[in-house]
Amino acid sequence: MKLNKIRSITYAVGLAAIVSTQGCIKDYVNPNAATEEQVFSSPRGLTGATIGLQRVYTAGRGSSLFNMVVANGLVTRELILLNAGNIPELELVTGGGAVTGANSMLTGLWSTSNKIIADADKIIGSAQTLADKNYASGLIAYSSIFKALAIGNLSMYWEKVPASTGNNVTFIDRKDGFRRAITTIDNALAVVNANAVSAAFTTNVPAGVDIVNTLHALKARYSLYTDQYAQALVSANIVDLTKRSTLNFDALNINPIFESATATNNVVQPVDSTLGLPAGLEPSLSDQRVPFYTSINTTIAPRFRIRGFAGTSTSNWPIYLQGEITLIKAEAFARQNDLVNALIELNKVVTKTPAQDPFGVGAGLLPLVGLTQPQILDQIYRHRSIELFMSGLKLEDMRRFNRPVSERRRSFFPYPFVERDNNTNTPPDPAF
Amino acid sequence: MKKMKRTPFVGRRKLLLALAFQLFAVVLFAQVRISGRITSKGTGVPATVLVRNTTFGTGADENGNYVLSAPLKPGSYTLVFSAVGFKSFDANVTIGSASTYTVNADLAADALNLDEVVVTGTSQGTTRRQLGSFIGTVRAEDLTQGAPNNVLQALQGKTPGAQITQNSGDPAGGMSVRLRGINTISSSSEPLYIIDGVIISNATNRVTNTSGNYDGNNFVGNIGQNRAVDINPNDIERIEVLPGAAAAAIYGSRANAGVIQIFTKRGSSGAPVVTFSTSVQVNQLRKKLLVNQAPTKFGGSPDVQTQDILTPALTNTTPVTRYDYQDYIFQSGIGTDNNVSITGGRDKTKYYASASYFGNEGIVKNTDFKRFGFRLNLDQELSSKLKFNIGLNYVNSFGNEKPDGQSFFSPTNAVTIIGNFHNITERDALGNLKAVGERGRVNPVSIIEDFKQSQQTSRIISNLGLKYSLMKNLSIDYTLGFDNYAQNGTTFIPPFTYNVSDGFFGGGPTLDPTRNGYASTATNNFFQVNSDINATYTANITSDLGSTTQLGYSYQYERNRYMLLQGRGLAPFVETVNGASTIIPGVDDRGEQSIAGAFLQQNFKFRNQLFITGAVRLDGSSVFGKNQRSQVYTKASASYVISGGDFWKSSSVAGWWDLAKVRVAYGESGNLTGIGAYERFNTYTSSSYIGRTGLNSRTTLANADVKPERQQELEFGADLSFFRNRLGLTANVYVKKVKDLLLNRVIAPTTGFNSKLDNFGELENRGFELLLTAVPVTNKDFTWDVTAIFNRNRNKALRIGQALTLFSTNAGAPVAILEGQPIGVFYGTFFATDGSGNQIKNTSGIPTIERGVQNGPLAFTPQRDQNGLPLATGTVLRRIIGDPNPDYTATLTNEFTYKKLGLRFQLDAVQGVDVFNADFRTRQGVGNGVVAEQEHRGQLPRGYISGIYAIEEWRIDDGSFVKLREIALTYRVGKWKVFNDLNFSLSGRNLISWDNYKGYDPEVNAAGQSTILRGIDFGSVPIPRTFRLGLVAKF
Repeated sequence: MKLNKIRSITYAVGLAAIVSTQGCIKDYVNPNAATEEQVFSSPRGLTGATIGLQRVYTAGRGSSLFNMVVANGLVTRELILLNAGNIPELELVTGGGAVTGANSMLTGLWSTSNKIIADADKIIGSAQTLADKNYASGLIAYSSIFKALAIGNLSMYWEKVPASTGNNVTFIDRKDGFRRAITTIDNALAVVNANAVSAAFTTNVPAGVDIVNTLHALKARYSLYTDQYAQALVSANIVDLTKRSTLNFDALNINPIFESATATNNVVQPVDSTLGLPAGLEPSLSDQRVPFYTSINTTIAPRFRIRGFAGTSTSNWPIYLQGEITLIKAEAFARQNDLVNALIELNKVVTKTPAQDPFGVGAGLLPLVGLTQPQILDQIYRHRSIELFMSGLKLEDMRRFNRPVSERRRSFFPYPFVERDNNTNTPPDPAF
Repeated sequence: MKKMKRTPFVGRRKLLLALAFQLFAVVLFAQVRISGRITSKGTGVPATVLVRNTTFGTGADENGNYVLSAPLKPGSYTLVFSAVGFKSFDANVTIGSASTYTVNADLAADALNLDEVVVTGTSQGTTRRQLGSFIGTVRAEDLTQGAPNNVLQALQGKTPGAQITQNSGDPAGGMSVRLRGINTISSSSEPLYIIDGVIISNATNRVTNTSGNYDGNNFVGNIGQNRAVDINPNDIERIEVLPGAAAAAIYGSRANAGVIQIFTKRGSSGAPVVTFSTSVQVNQLRKKLLVNQAPTKFGGSPDVQTQDILTPALTNTTPVTRYDYQDYIFQSGIGTDNNVSITGGRDKTKYYASASYFGNEGIVKNTDFKRFGFRLNLDQELSSKLKFNIGLNYVNSFGNEKPDGQSFFSPTNAVTIIGNFHNITERDALGNLKAVGERGRVNPVSIIEDFKQSQQTSRIISNLGLKYSLMKNLSIDYTLGFDNYAQNGTTFIPPFTYNVSDGFFGGGPTLDPTRNGYASTATNNFFQVNSDINATYTANITSDLGSTTQLGYSYQYERNRYMLLQGRGLAPFVETVNGASTIIPGVDDRGEQSIAGAFLQQNFKFRNQLFITGAVRLDGSSVFGKNQRSQVYTKASASYVISGGDFWKSSSVAGWWDLAKVRVAYGESGNLTGIGAYERFNTYTSSSYIGRTGLNSRTTLANADVKPERQQELEFGADLSFFRNRLGLTANVYVKKVKDLLLNRVIAPTTGFNSKLDNFGELENRGFELLLTAVPVTNKDFTWDVTAIFNRNRNKALRIGQALTLFSTNAGAPVAILEGQPIGVFYGTFFATDGSGNQIKNTSGIPTIERGVQNGPLAFTPQRDQNGLPLATGTVLRRIIGDPNPDYTATLTNEFTYKKLGLRFQLDAVQGVDVFNADFRTRQGVGNGVVAEQEHRGQLPRGYISGIYAIEEWRIDDGSFVKLREIALTYRVGKWKVFNDLNFSLSGRNLISWDNYKGYDPEVNAAGQSTILRGIDFGSVPIPRTFRLGLVAKF
C-alpha cells in the first residue's frame, strides 16, 4: 500500500514536471537579423534588401561582377592566368572540356544571379503595395536594374536560362532570357513614368547609379542582343551620354577585381597591348584606350597590368559606357544596312578623345572611311572589344559577330553541377 | 512521518529545517561508529564504504583506513566496499547496543571493473554489473602518465568506441572526439561534456583568425581552441565515456553524439594529504620534410618570377640558392606542469583544493599556452538526511598564437606557398624585410617576428549539489551548474614594408596606407546554467526482486555574446583597432536558447543477476519549431549475469570462468542544440554597404518547423572474465540510426538559395568494439598488464534525397556527402588508369586525368581516343577518391611493474584512412617540394606537375598510422623521509609514428573540430613529440 501511494505521488509529480517542461521554453527573439516578413513589409526594409542586391552583384570575389569579368576575360583571351593554382580560373583559361559544372566561378555567377532575381522579384512584388508610390517607384526601378543584369548575364554565358526562380524550374532559350530582361526593364520604366523616383529613395541608396538612363541603356543592350535593332536604336537614343552610371566602391567595400586580381598580381592580368584581339583587329599603337585599360610594369612580370575600372581599390564600375551606347547605335544601323549612319556613330567612338568621355575612355584616332557592311561590323566588333575591355560583354560579341571559334576557349558554359544535381530540367551541356 | 508532525520545530523558519532533521536523528538513533581498514593483498585501498539501502557512507584514506559515523538503529546491515579496479565487497554488521564496531575488508582486483560504481546520470550510481549498455571508465592514474597537455589528449586510446584526434599541434590545439562515428552533420558531432553534474561548453569560438580574409570567406570548418582545453587533467578522479545507448534518456535531449562525464577529485576523511607534482617537458617537430635541393629554377630571378614550375613554357634556368625554411619557423618548445592539492576532512566536512600552473611552448616559434587553475570541492553533511556539496573551478588561460591553418599566412603555409630560393631573413639597408617574390606573399619572418596574435580565457565552472534523504528509500537530489567564460582574442599584423597582397592584409605594391596591416579584437562571452532535480526511490519488492524508480527534471539555458572589432591600414606603433584607417565591418552576434525536459526511469533487478531498465523522456528546445517541443525519447535495456546463477557456480567451468554477462540496450536520443539559436528562421542580415545599410537574404533556406534529429541505437554486448579475473573481454555491437537528419542540403540555385536546412534522410553508424584486458603475469615483484582496444565503425548517409552534395572548401578539398556513402568523403577527379591499374601517360610521359561519360555520381564510363589516351572531348570524370573515416582504430597498452619500477607504453593505430594533403601539392606547385626537385633536375618531364596539378586524386594521401602515443617509465620511491609517497617519471608522447604519409603527420585536420571536413592538411601545425620528466610527492 505504502509503495503504491508513493508511486502515485511520484507519477503525479512526474506529470506536473512534464507539463511544466514546455512552459519553460521561450521563443527568443533574434536580435541579430530581420525576418523576411519585416524586410518586405516596410519601405526601409525593402530599401535594405535593394541595397543587398547591389552587394551580391558587386562585393568580393564571390560577386557576379568578379566572376563574369574574369570568366569572360579568360575564355575570350582578354586576360591571362598568373597562377595555375587558381583551379576555376585554370579551367577557364584551358577552355573546352576542362571547364566543368564543378567550376566554382561559374557556380558562383549562376548562384548570385539567381539570388538577385529571386530577391528582386520579392522586392518588386512588395513595393507595389506601398502607399508612397514615388518611393515604391525607386525600389522597383533600382531592383529591376539588378534583376535585368542578372538575367542578362546568365543569357550571355549559357545557352538556356532558367525561366523563373523556384523549385525544378524550366529553362528557356537565352534569347528569351534577354527578352525577359527587357520585360523587367519595361515594367520598371512604366512604373517610373507613372510616378517619378522620389529624392527620398535616391538618398537612401548608394550614390552612383543613374536609374532611368541605366534602364534605357540596358534595354538598348538586350534589344541589340535579340536582333531588335529599331528598338535598340530608340532606347540608345534616349540615353543621356553626358551622365555616368556606376556601381561605386569605397574604402570599406572595395572593387572586387582590384582586391583579388590587381592588388595580388596572382590571378589575372591583361594579356598584352593587343587586348586579346587577333592580328588585323588589334588596337592601333596610338589608341589611347590601351593605356587607359592597362598600365606597364617594367620590373616585375607580367608587363601589362589591370588599370581602367579596377586600377584602385575605390575605382567605380560603370554599368554601361557611353561608347557602348554609341556602338549599339552604330551596330543597329549597320545591321539594318544604314551604313552612312553606322559609320557616323562608329567614328564618334573612333575619334573620341579621353577628355570627351565622361569616364576618360577615348581612342583619339582618325575617323574611318569607306567601309562595306562586313568591314563596318568588323570595326564595330574591334572597337567594342577595345572600348568595352574587361566589361564581361566580349563572349556575347564574339558569337554575335561570328568570330572564329578558335579565337575563344569556350562558346557557352556548362551548367553548374549544383543545378544539374537538383533540377531535372537542366538542359544538356553544350559541347563547346 | 507521524513523529515529525508532533515536533515543535515544524512550521518554523525553513532554514532551521536542516538542523531539525539532524537533531531528530540524534534523538531517535544513537550515533554508531564503524571503523576498519580496507586492503588488497595487504596494501591499503582508498575505497568507499556504503551502508546498503541507506545514504550513509564515507571514503577511506590513502592507507585504507575509514571511520563511518551514522545514526543506525539496532539491526543487521550490509556494508558495501567499492573502489575503482576492484570487485565490490559486502560485509555484514549487526548493530547492537555497542557504539563502536570494527569491520575490515579485503578487496580482490577486478579486470573488468564489474562492480565499479558508475554514475550514468543517476543520483545513486549503479554498478557496472547492472548496466545494460556499455560505459567506458578511465581512472586518474591512467590519465596523466603519458604527458598529455589537456584532458582530451589524456583520453586518447583509453576507451572503446572513441576516436580522439588532435587536429593541430598548436600548444592549445583543438581536439575532436567521435564516439561511434559521426552522429550529426549540421552541428558539432562532439559529445556532451559534464563535469560534476555541470554541462560545460566545449565550443570552438573564433576570437582570433577572425576576418573572412583569413580564408576567403570559404567553408573552413571550426578552427582554434576548443574549450575542453581549460580542464586540468590532474584534477580528475575518473572519466566515464558513454558512447551509445547508455546516454539515451538520461541525457536524451543532447546525447546524440554520446556523453563524456568527468568527475573531479573529492575530499576524504583523515589527515590532510598534500600532493605536489611538477614536470618539465620538451616539444619538438617529430619529422622534418625533405625540400627541393635542385641548383636551378626555371625562368628568371626569384624576385620577379617566384613561381616557375606551373608555367611549362618556361624552360630556361637560373641558378639559385635553396633554403630549408623549416629550420627557421620551428623550435624546441619547453613546458612545465605544476600542481599542488590538499585533500582532507573531518566528520561532516571534506574538501579537495588544488592550484595549478601549466605553461608550454609550441614547436612554432613565438607560440605558447599558459593555464592557471584553481579548484575547490567541498562536501558537507548538514544533517544525517541532508548533504550538500559545492565545486568551484577557476581557470585562466593565455596563448600566443600564429594564424591557423586554412590560410596562406599560417607559419607552415607561409613556407609551403613560396619557392625555397628566397633569403627570407635578408633585410634592406633600412632593416626592412624583403618581398618573397613578386606575388605579394607574406614573408614567413613577418609572421614569426611581427605578427602578434593571442587569446585568453577566464572561466568559472561551479556546481552546487543537494542530496536529501526524504525517507529510508526515497532521496531527492538537486544539481545546479554554471559555466561562465569570457574569451578574448587579439590580432595584430603590422603594416608590411614590402608588397603583400590585399587579401593577406598587405598594402599591395604601392603599400597603400589605407589597406596595409590589420588589427582585431574579438570577445566571446558565454553563460550556461543547468538545473537538475531527481528523485530516486528504491524498494525491495521481494527478497529477490529490487526496484529503483527515478524521476527527473532538467532545465538548461545558454546565452552567448560575440563581438568583433577589426580594421586595416594601421598607424605606426599602435597595435589596437584604434590605429586602423579603414574599419572593417565588425560582428555583434547574440544568442539565447533553452531546453527543458523530464524523465522517468524504472529499473528492476532480480537476484543481482537479471537487470531490466526502461525509461522515457520528454524534451523541448527553443531552437526548433514551436510544434516540435514535445520530443519523446525512450530507452530499454536488459542484462543477465549468466555466471551469477546457482547452476553456474556448481558447474565445471566455474573454476576458470568467473563471469559471463550478456546485455542488450535500445535507446533514443536527440540533438536539441543541433542548429543555431535562430537558424530555423529565414532572416535578412544587415551589413554596411557603400555608406548605406544593405539587408541580405541568407544563402540557406530555413524551415520554421524544423525538428531535432532522433537517434535510435541498438546495442548488444557481452562481458566475460576468466582465470580469476586475469583475462577479461568486453564486446559491443551496435547499430545507430539518426532519423530526420538535419542537413544543410545543396539545392538548385534557381530556387534563390544555395542550400536548405531541414530534416532530410538518415545517417547510420554500425560497428563493434572489443576491449581485452589481461594480466599475463602477476607475482610479488612483477606484474604485466595488457589492455587492447579495437573499434570499427561504418558510417553512411541514407535517403538524403540527393545523390551528391559537394562542399567547396578553402583548402580545395572536394568534400562530399553521397547517398549510401560515409560522411565527408573526398569526391573528385582522378588519374586515368589502364586495365592493370597503371596510370595512362601522355606522349610527354605525364599522367592524365580520366575522362568519359559521367552516368551518375558514382557511375561513369571512361573513354579513350585512338592513341589510348583519355578522350579529350570527354567530360572530366569524378568518383570517391578518399575517405577520412578510418576502417578501424586500435590501441594496445602494456604495463610492466617490477618492484618500484614501472613501464607503460601505448600504441594507437588508425588504419584505412585518407588525408587530403593540400600542402603536398602546393609544395610541388611553387617548387619547394621533392617532386618539383625531380622536375627541376630533369628526372621528370617538364610540365609534369603542371600536367597533373588539377587531378584531385594527386592530393589524396595515405593517412594510416601506428603511433607510439604514450610511454612512461616510473619509479616509485614510496615513503621516504618527509614524503609519504614519492614518484619519478620519464614519459613521452607521440614519439614515433609508423606511416607512409607525405606530409608531417597524418593525424591532422586544418578544418579543426569540424564535423564534415575531416582529414584536411592545409597549413596546420604538426603534432609535436613530447618528452616529459616529472615528480609527484605526497606529504
